[in-house]
Amino acid sequence: MTQPIDTSIYIAITEAIRDEAKRLLLEGQVSAVIGYAGARRKGSAQPVIISQAEDAAKLIFSPASVNNLALYLTKAKKEIPKNGKIGIVVKGCDLKAIVGLMGESQLKREELYLIGVPCAGVLASTAQPSTGLTAETIAPKCTECNAHLPAGCDYVPNVQLPAPLQLEEKYIAEITRLEALTPVERWAYWKEQFAKCIKCYACRQVCPFCFCEQCLCDRNKPQMVESTPRPAGNTAWHIVRAMHLAGRCAGCAECERVCPMDIPLNLLNRKMAKELKELYAYEAGFEVNDKGPLSTFDEKDDQSFIK
Amino acid sequence: MHSEKQKHSFEPKIIAFVCTWCTYAGADLAGTSRMQYPSNVRVLKFPCTGRIDPVFILKAFQQGADGVLVSGCHPGDCHYIAGNFHARRRFAAFRKLLEFVGVDLNRLQFSWVSAAEGGKWVEVVTDLTEKVRAMGPMAEFKQLALEEQWSGTIGTPELKEAYNAI
Amino acid sequence: MQKYISKQNLNTLLDTMIAEGTRVVAPCLNAGIPLYEPIKSASEMVTELLPRRSSKEAFFPVCEDIMSYAKEGQHVSLKDIDPSRFQETVLVGVRPCDAAAIPVLDAVFSWDYKDEFFLERRKKTTIIGLACTDADDACFCSAVGLSPGETKGSDLFLTPLEGGGYACETFSDKGEALITSHKELFSEQTKAKALPLAEPQTEKIDLKKVKAWLDGHFEDPLWDCIAVRCVGCGACAFVCPACHCFDIVDEGTEKAGKRRKSWDACGFWKFTHHASGHNPRNLQPKRYRNRIMHKFKYYDDKFGQTLCSGCGRCVRICPVGIDIAAIVEEISKK
Repeated sequence: MTQPIDTSIYIAITEAIRDEAKRLLLEGQVSAVIGYAGARRKGSAQPVIISQAEDAAKLIFSPASVNNLALYLTKAKKEIPKNGKIGIVVKGCDLKAIVGLMGESQLKREELYLIGVPCAGVLASTAQPSTGLTAETIAPKCTECNAHLPAGCDYVPNVQLPAPLQLEEKYIAEITRLEALTPVERWAYWKEQFAKCIKCYACRQVCPFCFCEQCLCDRNKPQMVESTPRPAGNTAWHIVRAMHLAGRCAGCAECERVCPMDIPLNLLNRKMAKELKELYAYEAGFEVNDKGPLSTFDEKDDQSFIK
Repeated sequence: MHSEKQKHSFEPKIIAFVCTWCTYAGADLAGTSRMQYPSNVRVLKFPCTGRIDPVFILKAFQQGADGVLVSGCHPGDCHYIAGNFHARRRFAAFRKLLEFVGVDLNRLQFSWVSAAEGGKWVEVVTDLTEKVRAMGPMAEFKQLALEEQWSGTIGTPELKEAYNAI
Repeated sequence: MQKYISKQNLNTLLDTMIAEGTRVVAPCLNAGIPLYEPIKSASEMVTELLPRRSSKEAFFPVCEDIMSYAKEGQHVSLKDIDPSRFQETVLVGVRPCDAAAIPVLDAVFSWDYKDEFFLERRKKTTIIGLACTDADDACFCSAVGLSPGETKGSDLFLTPLEGGGYACETFSDKGEALITSHKELFSEQTKAKALPLAEPQTEKIDLKKVKAWLDGHFEDPLWDCIAVRCVGCGACAFVCPACHCFDIVDEGTEKAGKRRKSWDACGFWKFTHHASGHNPRNLQPKRYRNRIMHKFKYYDDKFGQTLCSGCGRCVRICPVGIDIAAIVEEISKK
C-alpha cells in the first residue's frame, strides 16, 4: 500500500512565494530571486533566477522542487550576478547549507533575503516528476527530516504543515546494516557501487560546499586522485569527497539525488555526520558556527585510537 | 646486540608519515642509539601532523602500502601549538570513514612519539610491522588498481595475462 | 532478409553465442540499475528498462588503455595495445535511439583520423536492435526525426509480436551472417501483428530551422537564460549515445604506467582550460552553448546529420532539469 503524503499546502506556498518575490523585486529590495519554475515534463521543476517582477508568476513550489538552491549563492557559480541582496527560496535542508556557508564566511546574512518553505517532503530521484508524493516516492532524506519548518528566515508563508508521517528512516537503517557487516563485505559493497561511477562529477558540482576554485581532483601536480573513471580512481574520489565534506555537509543529499548511476553517496555523508555527532556533539542545524567540528579541537578530545 | 635477522615469507611495506619535530627526531634517536627495528618502514617527514592530509594515507595504500603509521608530537608539544590537536580530530574522522568503506583499521596506526622516545618508536614500528605481517598483504587497493570498466578490458583473462606479462 | 524468432530461441541463440566465446552485451541489472554489460546467460537480459548509459560504451569505452610505458635505467620501452585482441561482440536489445547514434559516431571516428580503437571494436560487433515499446515524457526521438521503430544502425532488428517472439529483419551482411550461422533457430515470418510500439512523445522539430537560427546566434541572450542554472557536470555528455569527446592522460609512476583514453565533456570547466590559465569558455552558458551548437550545428555542418537521437537520458538525469528537447523546440519557434 502506498501511503500518500499531503502536499496540498504547496499550492498556497506557490502563491505566497510569487507574491513575496513580486513585492521584493518591485520594491527593489533584492536584485534577483532564486526559486523553482515548472519545466516541459509533466510535474517537473527546475531552478530559475528571476530579476523582473513580472517573472514572479513563473515561480512554483511542488514535490519536484528537489534542488538545493544554495548552490547558486557560492563563489563557484560565477555566472550568477551577485550584486546587492538576493532572494532565495529555501527548504529546511537547504537552509542548513546556507547556514554552513555563512559559518565558512562564504555568505553574509545581510546580503540574503530568505524565503523559507514549510516542507512536507520532495520526490526521490527515482520517481517520475509527475508522480504524487507517497511513502514510496519520497526522497530518502525526507524520511529523516528534522527541519520541515526552516527557522530564522525573512519570510515564511503562513500555512499549516500537516503532521509528518512516521516513515522508515532509510539512511539509519542502511548504515546500521552496513556497520554490521565485516570489512571484507563492506569493501565488496562499495566496490560494486563505486565501479558504476563514470566521474561525471555531478555530485561535486551540485554540492554547495564544493566551492573550491580548483578541486584537488582536478589538479595534476601532484595528482593525488587518478582522473580516469576506473574503479581505483573512482573509489579514491568518493573517499576524498566524503572526507572533505565531513563536518561540513548539511545533509541536503543532492550528491546522491543527482548521481546518474544511483550510487548511495549520502550514506557516506550520513555516516560521517553520525560519527562526528558521537565524537564531538556536532550536528548541522540552523545556528551559524564559526568553526566546524574538524576546524577546531578540544584538548580533551578522545585519543583512545592513538598509541 | 645484533639479533639474528629472521627470514619471513612476507615482508610488509609500512609507510610512516611523521612530523619533523618529534617523531622524526625520535626515530633518529633510535638510530643513533643503535636500536633495532624492522626495516619494513619507509619514513616520510612532514613539518607537522597537521600537514598530513588523509589523502596521503589513501595514496599510500593505493601505491602498495600494507600498513600506514602516522605519528607526531604528544598533545601540548606541537611546535606549531595546535597542529596535532587538529590532526587528532581529522584522523579520528578519517578512520571511521575508511572503516565504513571496508578498510581493516588494523593496518592503520596513529601514535605520539616524542624526540626522546626512541624506544617507543621501535615498539610502535615493530608492533605494526608484525601485526600487518600476520595479516598478509593489503590486497584490496592493489586489486582495485588492476580492474577496468568492462568496456575497457581488452580480451579474455588469458589474453589479459599475456598482455600484462609483456 | 525477414525471419521470425521465438523468445525461447532468442535466448538459445544468445546462450549458444556466449558458449562459443562471443561476448554478448545486453541491457541487464547491475547494482540496482540497468546498464549495457556483458551477460553470462540470456536470462540476465532485461529489456523493459532503458539502460542508464548508452550502448556507445561497446565501441567507445568509459576508459581504455591505449599504450603502456616502462622505464628501466636509461631504457624506455613503449608498448601499443594490439586491437586484434578486442573481442567479437554481439550487442543485443539495443534501443532504436542508441542504435541510431552508432552511425553518427562512425562518421566522426573515421573522418580525418581513423580511430583504430573505435573502428576495430565496431568491426567486431554485430548490433541487434529492439523496437521500443515503452517511452516516458523525457523521450523525444520523434522530435529529431527518429521513431520507436527506427532501424538505423542495427544489423538485425527485432520487433516484438503479439503472442510472443520477434519479427527479425536484417540490414547488413553482419545481420544476415548471424541468421545464416544459426538458421535452425529462425523460421519464416508469421502473420502475427507487431506489439504496439511506444507512443511518440513529441512533435517533429524542424531541425533545418534550428540550424539556421544557430548559424546566426552564437551570441544571444538565450544562452544565459537557459544555461545560467547549469552546474557544469558531465552527466549529460556521459549518458549521451552520441557525445564522443575524450581525454587522454598518462597514469602511473616514473617507472611504469599507462596512457589512457576516457570520456570527457564540454560542460566541464577544465575542458577548455588552457595551460596558460586562460579559459575561452570561462562561464557555464558558453559551455552549454557549445553542447547545443555541436549537436545541432557544427556536426551538421561537417557530416550533414544531427548529433542527437532523442533518447532523453540527459533530460532525465540533469541535476537542474535542463531539457534539451524544450530548448530545441524553443529555438525552432524563433
